[in-house]
Amino acid sequence: MVADTGRFFRAGPAARDRIAREACTPEDILFLKEEGHVPHPCSRLERRSRQFAEAERLSWANRLDYLILVPTLRCNLSCSYCQVSRASLTSTGHDWSEATLAAVLDRIDGLETKSIKVEFQGGEPTLRLDLINAVIERCRRFERSEFVVCTNLQRLDEDVLALFSRDDVYVSTSLDGAAATHLRNRTASSTATEQFLGNLRLLIDRFGIGKVSALPTVDPRSPPEPDELIDAYAGLGFNSIFLRPINFQGFARKRHPDSREQNGEWRRYYERFVRRLIERNWVDRSVVFEETYLSVCLRRVFQPGSERHVDLRSPNPVGVDYVVIDHDGTVYPTDEARMLARSGIIDLSIGTVETGWDTPARQTLDRHSTNAMDPACRQCAYQPYCGRDVIDDIARYGTIDLPRTETEFCRKHMHLFDLIFELVYSDDPAVRHSVSRWLRLPGTPTELGVTLP
Amino acid sequence: MIPLALQSISEAEQPFVTRLRVATGTADAADSILVAEDIDGATFAGRNGLVSISGSPAAALDGDVVLVSSGVGRVERLLRAGGLEIPTNTLLVTERCDQLCLMCSQPPKKTHHDRFALLTEAALLAEPGSLIGITGGEPTLYKAQLLDMIETVLAARSDVEFHVLTNGQHFEDADVARLAGALYDRVTWGVPLYARQAALHDRIVGKKGAFDRLQDGLAVLLSAGCRVELRTVLLSSNFTALGELARYVTTRLRFVEAWSIMQLENVGYARKRWQELYLDHSADFGPIAAALDHAHLHGVEAQLFNFPLCTVPAPYRHLARPSISDWKRKFVPECSPCAARERCCGFFEWHPDDEARSGVRPL
Repeated sequence: MVADTGRFFRAGPAARDRIAREACTPEDILFLKEEGHVPHPCSRLERRSRQFAEAERLSWANRLDYLILVPTLRCNLSCSYCQVSRASLTSTGHDWSEATLAAVLDRIDGLETKSIKVEFQGGEPTLRLDLINAVIERCRRFERSEFVVCTNLQRLDEDVLALFSRDDVYVSTSLDGAAATHLRNRTASSTATEQFLGNLRLLIDRFGIGKVSALPTVDPRSPPEPDELIDAYAGLGFNSIFLRPINFQGFARKRHPDSREQNGEWRRYYERFVRRLIERNWVDRSVVFEETYLSVCLRRVFQPGSERHVDLRSPNPVGVDYVVIDHDGTVYPTDEARMLARSGIIDLSIGTVETGWDTPARQTLDRHSTNAMDPACRQCAYQPYCGRDVIDDIARYGTIDLPRTETEFCRKHMHLFDLIFELVYSDDPAVRHSVSRWLRLPGTPTELGVTLP
Repeated sequence: MIPLALQSISEAEQPFVTRLRVATGTADAADSILVAEDIDGATFAGRNGLVSISGSPAAALDGDVVLVSSGVGRVERLLRAGGLEIPTNTLLVTERCDQLCLMCSQPPKKTHHDRFALLTEAALLAEPGSLIGITGGEPTLYKAQLLDMIETVLAARSDVEFHVLTNGQHFEDADVARLAGALYDRVTWGVPLYARQAALHDRIVGKKGAFDRLQDGLAVLLSAGCRVELRTVLLSSNFTALGELARYVTTRLRFVEAWSIMQLENVGYARKRWQELYLDHSADFGPIAAALDHAHLHGVEAQLFNFPLCTVPAPYRHLARPSISDWKRKFVPECSPCAARERCCGFFEWHPDDEARSGVRPL
């Protein structure tokens, strides 16, 4: 049973029966009171803290402080599932113009926050180091700034290294598993694969593992053995693996037509992967592997506000705290929206960097960007933990007007939260060990979830 | 131990606040400049005339903001300068209190000498980036003066923050608007709560109805969006009730910035009742570990104050803060080979040596 605050308990069969018959015992009432489910009407603190706990479950985005920038669409690779519909290396008209750069810098000057995060996407953004450096230079006035360069690491010359050696610059790349898998999906030649792996190792050796994050993209029709993928990451020193199936967007839609929804097979694979992480964490306690998104969801269950994960939140306003600025200056609410437009499926742009994005398009998308009023979500125990993603619905179904329970977003998260609660109430010490580490706890509690017998 | 009060002779007829300076380079009107120093002490001159201070070399007083009594008396080093990354000092605003805690480290007195004007003057002279602690007695017995002082200082000094220790008994809903003001973003309220059970909490603080009143006070702080650090001193009487308190914190007090579980200070009443009150956590860390895990599980930042690192099991050590101020901190000879001293709180100067020495396991 889950309250609006997200505080939950497991009711045993007898307790379920008592609650259904409205025949709670004094012990039941005391339990519910202590757990904060029955605020005392005369206690100001209990009433207000209950409201506070409910409010904690709502995301609040107010000021723009996160920019996803696409300085160029050109790329030196051609991955089978490229999500951004890349342009060839030598093509023209796929980079920011002088005017677009000037408008981006103007926007940065206008930000009202003390901190900023900028993510450079592509294409391959390091093809335009000059644009990256111009943006970074303009961000000097912020108290805190963080730059993430999403790169395929095929080219790592002196200029690129100089950029990566900055303390406020982080590198994000793709690593699909063992070298053969990575070659099949991305690099197409063993020379290019070796080049990539060599560059990745060089970065880790020189700057430490904290500098780099890597994400795999997995073909759900032939996923690698969990151990193959885990070993590929472990070998480089990575502990966090974001297990993502091919996304139904961009070129991926044409080449992988059956990737619109994941089926039971993917879910079983995902679960097998998580169980394998748990086993490995238990056998060798010196390392803690995690599936990144499972940890995000797990922390959302217990620790509201600890994550700023813009893909899973409610309300999930568009064009408020983060935007994507494309190679031609078009502004999109998310990277997925950019891909949809690029694939010619639907134009979800909300404005341009020159003219702004407080537009009717943005307001229309925003009108339904919450799970609070959705009839299916209101009946769902996981509502306080879950989010809303109108872009994902449009991407998959061309409409948001369908029962949430019939969407991939809902099925995916239903499965994740089911799995999470199964793990939370597991008696297996190996499971509790991993779950406690994923929740960043100092110790391993004997009880992660309470039970009313 | 670093002395906080020194003997002095002053020309002034009234107590005054000044900042002591050895060199004249950066002097402003509030400064007193060193004019002479010998083995008996140092003499400083400023707008309130001469003051001679004995018991410390002048160099060690450089930059201190002091309160000088008139005639033959003492100087109180209100804000000591130098040393710390964040200059941290504590101002005592009253010795009166409406609670009488079993373990009070600074037993209250009946009378109150109002020094708010002088303390405000001192706080305005604080080093750049200072964190100023306010303590008592119970500071909010003089809530109007206290809030005036805080606002005056914070309005003039955008680099200063306050940490106020208060029993939370005197906040009213009428205070919400004021406490929600922007200046209070730089104020943290340290509020003690010893048990989830009203009777136990009331017995520990020596006041009937204190728990219920505290709930209302916390509701005011919550409504005003105040920054609150919850404090629980560990005692043999509340040790086994820690689990219920942890659950209370994660359900009712989720808004606190931190929950500090504090080991007892062997001074004041606690010194007299040491055997009755002190709980040796190294003998059984279980309930503390469970409370820390429960709090962190639900996203409440629980931490340990006054727990020497080597007395805490390794997984929880990163939660033990170097919480004891330099002027009253000591290490025992057994600590000398320890590699973790820099991060360790050490012991209170007045902690029994034999107890301290037998518990130390150098890291």
